[in-house]
Amino acid sequence: MAFLKARNINKTYRLGRNNQVRALRGVDIAVDTGEMVGIMGPSGCGKSTLMHILGLLHSPDAGTEPPPSLMIEGTDVTALSDLERTRMRAVKMGFVFQAFNLVSTLTAVENVALPAEYAGRRRPEAREAAEDVLRLVGLESWAGHRPMELSGGQQQRVAIARALVTRPALLLADEPTGNLDSENTGEILELLHWFNKDRGQTVLIVTHDPRVGEACSRVLTMHDGVITNGHQG
Amino acid sequence: MLRSLSRRKLRTALTVLGITVGIWALIVMSAMANKLTALVDGGSTYFDNKIVVTDATNPAFGFGLVPMPVEIVDRVGRIPGVAVAAERVQFLLDPNNTGSGFGAPDFVVGFRAGFDQGYETFQSEIAQGRYTTLDDENRRVVVLGADLARRFDASPGDSFTIRDEAFEVIGTLEPTLMFFDTTAVIPWAAAQELLARDEALESEFGADIPVLTSMVIAYPEPGTDYRAIMQAIEEALPQTRSVTGEDFDDQFGSTIAIFNAIILSVALISIVVGGLSVINTMTMSVAERTREIGIKRAIGATRGLIMRELVLEAGFMGLVGGLIGLGLAAIVVYAANDAGQTSGTVLFLLTPWIGALGVGFATVLGALAGAIPAWNAARMDPVEALRYG
Repeated sequence: MAFLKARNINKTYRLGRNNQVRALRGVDIAVDTGEMVGIMGPSGCGKSTLMHILGLLHSPDAGTEPPPSLMIEGTDVTALSDLERTRMRAVKMGFVFQAFNLVSTLTAVENVALPAEYAGRRRPEAREAAEDVLRLVGLESWAGHRPMELSGGQQQRVAIARALVTRPALLLADEPTGNLDSENTGEILELLHWFNKDRGQTVLIVTHDPRVGEACSRVLTMHDGVITNGHQG
Repeated sequence: MLRSLSRRKLRTALTVLGITVGIWALIVMSAMANKLTALVDGGSTYFDNKIVVTDATNPAFGFGLVPMPVEIVDRVGRIPGVAVAAERVQFLLDPNNTGSGFGAPDFVVGFRAGFDQGYETFQSEIAQGRYTTLDDENRRVVVLGADLARRFDASPGDSFTIRDEAFEVIGTLEPTLMFFDTTAVIPWAAAQELLARDEALESEFGADIPVLTSMVIAYPEPGTDYRAIMQAIEEALPQTRSVTGEDFDDQFGSTIAIFNAIILSVALISIVVGGLSVINTMTMSVAERTREIGIKRAIGATRGLIMRELVLEAGFMGLVGGLIGLGLAAIVVYAANDAGQTSGTVLFLLTPWIGALGVGFATVLGALAGAIPAWNAARMDPVEALRYG
């Protein structure tokens, strides 16, 4: 069954009065539960924009024909309010970014606990869940360290732990290995693979990296705002 | 919230300092305004139900210091509408100290216990010991006002010297925030004796000094027209001058109101500057944390949560600034009052109400000042915010 299904997704950015960029041009995409899907393509092809829309951080353009539709677990989310979208992000989604995006003033465990707190758990419970998932990514002894005290690979593992602390239905990763060396890339891929295979985590990865693409069960290629082809990995 | 503040120590400290200075000024100024108001209110209450008759040449408002023959009391008592007229001797505790600051100088007051026949409505409460009674008439005893008792560290049983004579302290009064606090009450006879020693009186009355009174306290019948009675007194006794509560309010009320308005305006300017400093700091803080706010929004923090976090942070800085400001203001007020005690210049009256209001104001100001940048932060596009910095 499709966990996520999007149809006719368009996105235009207006950069000035006479300057607009069509980042997405009628994208259709479906992701099944338990899949690990890679989205590849050159810079500026609209990969990240698509991920932001699927992750409910942005909305698709309205007023297109046919109108856009984005179904998550059978619910149309295009008409949700900002609050409802935020709640859905907190409960159903986890995000991993290229630049790690950890809160610099918080320790690793505090960073990991944040989504759990936003999803409504009490702080001690959130912290306990954060410690558990930090153990899974092998960073239990670094729990009290702040991001600047960790290596790039460690920071990305903290970010993965943060994305998964609420056991979300969908993990969205935007160039998760973009800032990492080859060794750390391998470790992160292993981790994502383990979560996908052993825990059945649905994963959607935007990447340039062919190694990441190889690790995915299916890869979609984008060009100029449209998905040009897809194949099983 | 606390962890966020504690990890930006310098910025937090500077904001708190800005609020501290504002609240410090507000509380100190308010304490000064409060003291002035309390003095005026106390005087207004005291003079409210009575007419104080003094010699026309008397230099002070409502405080008789120029003695008159005691017969004048009976003459005031016979004026229609006057229910009770009572004599009262009053002179400076230290003839060389007429008081230079706010409040009254130290006075010695002598009267017979129960002189008012129940008409006096202003009651000064006993803190320790007891008040004078008619049985004390031939004794050297004194009841001390709160300031005098504190300044001379006197309590019942101690000796207190008035014009080189030893008096036994039999009681001390609770603070009244008015001239009672710097007053030593002694029996009528003793006061008369001490007053008669004044060399200036000999030149006026000769060797045979009559029984004297410094003023007459006249209690009008309830419901009578005070102005008409005062006019009747001054017509019958042109050598006197009469004042009542209305005169007191006319004399001091409006002046104090203007003075208080100026004081509070200065304080409010300080607080506005403090408030702007919070807005400035919180705006900077939000700019500095744009990316952090974007991250939090992306991973599930609602706009309300972001708002609440920032507003609470700003409010907490306001609260801490307010508490430190209150603490510093209390130190200044108590130190200045203590230093001013000896000269009678007690400038400030810091009440719990002012303190609570100051701290509450700082907290609300902080929260309000933080609300504008917080609102802007909460409305940021998370993706845009993530690209920041």
